[in-house]
Amino acid sequence: MFAKKHKSFNFIDRSVYVFSLIISLLIIAPIFGVILGNISVDNEYFKFFSQTELVRYTKNSLFILISVLFITFFLGTFSAYLVSFYEFPFVNFFKYSLLLSFAIPPYIFGYTLSGFFENYGTFYSILNYFLDEKIINSILPNLGPFLGSIISLSLTLFGYVFILTRSSFLNQSKNLIEVGKNLGFTTFDIFFKIILPSARPAIFIGLSLVGMETLADFGTVSFFGLSTFTTGIYNSWFIFDDLKTANVLSFLLLFFILTLFVLESFFRKNMKFHNSTSSLKRKNEKINLKGTKRILAFLFCFTIFFISFLFPLFQMLFWSFTFPNSFDFLEIISINFNSMKLIFFASTVIIFLSFFVNFGTRVLKSNVLSFFSNLSIAGYAIPGIVISVAIITFFSLIDNLLHLSIKSYFIGSLAGLIFGYVIRFYSISFNTIKTVYLKINKTIDDSALLLGFDKLKILKKIHFPLLKSHFVFAFILISIEIIKELPITLILRPFNFETFSTKAFNMASNDLIEAAAVPSLFIILWSSLLIILSIKFFLIDKK
Amino acid sequence: MFKVFLFLFIFVNSATANEINLFTSRHYESDARLFKKFTDQTGIKINIISGKSKILEKRIFEEGNNSKADILFLADAGALYSAQNKNLFSKIKSEFIKKKVPISLRNDFWVGITKRSRILYYNPNFLSKKEIEDISYEDLSDKKWLNSIAVRQSNNIYNQSLVASMLEHNGVNNTKKWLEGLVNNFARSPQGNDRAQILMVASGEAKLAIANSYYYALMLSGKKGIEQKKAAEKVIPIFPNQLNRGAHINISGAGIIKFSKNKKKAEKFLEFLLTNDSQSEFCSNSFEYPVIDDKGVDKPEYNLSSNFKEDTSIDVSIYGKRQAEAFKLMKKAGWN
Repeated sequence: MFAKKHKSFNFIDRSVYVFSLIISLLIIAPIFGVILGNISVDNEYFKFFSQTELVRYTKNSLFILISVLFITFFLGTFSAYLVSFYEFPFVNFFKYSLLLSFAIPPYIFGYTLSGFFENYGTFYSILNYFLDEKIINSILPNLGPFLGSIISLSLTLFGYVFILTRSSFLNQSKNLIEVGKNLGFTTFDIFFKIILPSARPAIFIGLSLVGMETLADFGTVSFFGLSTFTTGIYNSWFIFDDLKTANVLSFLLLFFILTLFVLESFFRKNMKFHNSTSSLKRKNEKINLKGTKRILAFLFCFTIFFISFLFPLFQMLFWSFTFPNSFDFLEIISINFNSMKLIFFASTVIIFLSFFVNFGTRVLKSNVLSFFSNLSIAGYAIPGIVISVAIITFFSLIDNLLHLSIKSYFIGSLAGLIFGYVIRFYSISFNTIKTVYLKINKTIDDSALLLGFDKLKILKKIHFPLLKSHFVFAFILISIEIIKELPITLILRPFNFETFSTKAFNMASNDLIEAAAVPSLFIILWSSLLIILSIKFFLIDKK
Repeated sequence: MFKVFLFLFIFVNSATANEINLFTSRHYESDARLFKKFTDQTGIKINIISGKSKILEKRIFEEGNNSKADILFLADAGALYSAQNKNLFSKIKSEFIKKKVPISLRNDFWVGITKRSRILYYNPNFLSKKEIEDISYEDLSDKKWLNSIAVRQSNNIYNQSLVASMLEHNGVNNTKKWLEGLVNNFARSPQGNDRAQILMVASGEAKLAIANSYYYALMLSGKKGIEQKKAAEKVIPIFPNQLNRGAHINISGAGIIKFSKNKKKAEKFLEFLLTNDSQSEFCSNSFEYPVIDDKGVDKPEYNLSSNFKEDTSIDVSIYGKRQAEAFKLMKKAGWN
């Protein structure tokens, strides 16, 4: 099929095709194998479930999804717009520090939020210096489950929209605001009619990541006690031993995710890209804000930075100091070592695989490959709990079918853990590389082919150098996710193998949220460090 | 490169000799300290993997014969029953265990290690002792408690076990009605952990809270900070159904995995957990109640075991049998 476009349909093409396809299939196999193999709605629990619960679960999931998308869209694009086009106090600081929100896992933000505002919590302790107990209890806000979940998810996920939108603004060749003004547009019109549309692919990719994270979230919604698809999957799987209902729900969840993808590619196809090569890029002259606007811009960014990063950080520091928990020094070292090991192996595997498939999809122009590679990023939307159980079931199935016993190498081992991470975080790397690939003009490939390069040479001599720095970026994004990842690590890890997230979770689920502070701080520390590194070596604006 | 990976993975998988592998849904640091004592005494190392009970259960079930698990230690009798139902346990043979633990807290396949009660709390500033003195779980559906009861969600296994016990005592129809009344009396849509419910009562936002006994002790111990200690001091625990069957009792318990190759060592470990010393540790660190005769067991003052009448009229394994049924009824009654 793909051979029609190029004469060079050769051994290399075929190998690339086969390997890309195998990688994509392997990543989706456990999930789809389990889901499709068990779909059936003929059982008692599902009847009960569909009568009483299904509508509510759907409503709640959609409500959370839409709210979080709306808030992250607003926070992400507006802050990206401010720091990209305007000059105001600390703008260079905010440009990067807003990314630190990535360092906070949504569930830890949830712990913070509830620990801060709960009766006799941190906020109470602060107010207790000034006010009487009765007054305090009457003014403490009661964050309901919806508000709590939506705030926690939005403030920890808006960074996806922010970072992608901002980098898209940076890549604009012309000063968009100037163009708008020349056309006689108002600031409002410029923002909605020129600036936002110019970054649409980036915004949609950002929002689709936010959407997937939101739908897959289990820790936060279950902490706040909301019935969504993930808690529904959890309940049917773990309370009713009903894999089938869980699978029907997983399937529905996937349906929503795929809808997001279709929407995303629809918008992508209907857009024209106004990209330029870097040599043509002009330095972006920023507009110096004056008066109230200057203060408002500063306050907007500062508030987001404060709530999304400093607030959880301070709460964890407060807990660590108020409850000096004897956290074993040796244990801290061993957990750090565990984290490094996981990050190194998993990221290397994920980046290698996603680069290869991206390359295959690009040079072979095969619809089949493109379809499966797009499908393979769906793992990001699947709750970690489901992925873990799917992996266990998948290997049992293989063992039974082929009379093997490879299962023990994948369950309770680093191999299984990394496989789980590959399924879950593949899309981060895949999308990062894909975004850059889209910007590399395909005529470059064609010219290279005309010059007699074969495809592997294109990969080595042209694509790899152009993408290299983005591998580091993907590495960092994956690392941050791995440090924060909870359910897969919890279920598939080897004996006596703790990470900071499993440690924090164990403490928190034992109602010792204060003792979860030290491991939580390490999660924040590590992630912040990686984010700062990425800023220093990768994201910093080139002047 | 791939060979290096493979080597590492296989290396990580290999196990050494004198040790047992413990799967546990309990996440207490004090448990780990106690296990270390066992290692010091016997030289047997305890490898721990912790997680939610059903996840551990599923993992062992899926691994089957390949499973490296020797012991499964779970918080809630229902969870133990579920694992038993999947045929994961072998029979416990130890006479020591049978002698030490009363029959209502164990069966052939697993044994209770610690005990807790799910009880009520009130704040004497907002409620007189008279109003609540002889209260029963059944009374909680009374209209008198409209907008007054704080409890966590229905997906919480302790709530499911409590409702399962109600089902066993009162039958389906009565329980259905009871649940409707109870849900109607909620002070807010259920959220937060057990401690949060007790705090609601301390602040006067709810009149009654349903929570496990050890949370109160935990707050009083000062481990949750001075504010929470002060809050807990405002609250009084009350054990329901003292005039009839007694307060609802649940256990944390363990069984030996069928596939275990270390059954003897595992049994030795369970026996160790049931000694006076170990039981004292549970009482003063995780504030649970002892499952053995508590004469030789040391416990802090605020550990209220043996101060009340326990419901021993049904086996705790009933909770497991009726948990799913209970959860369904709870959901139907609108308990989120």
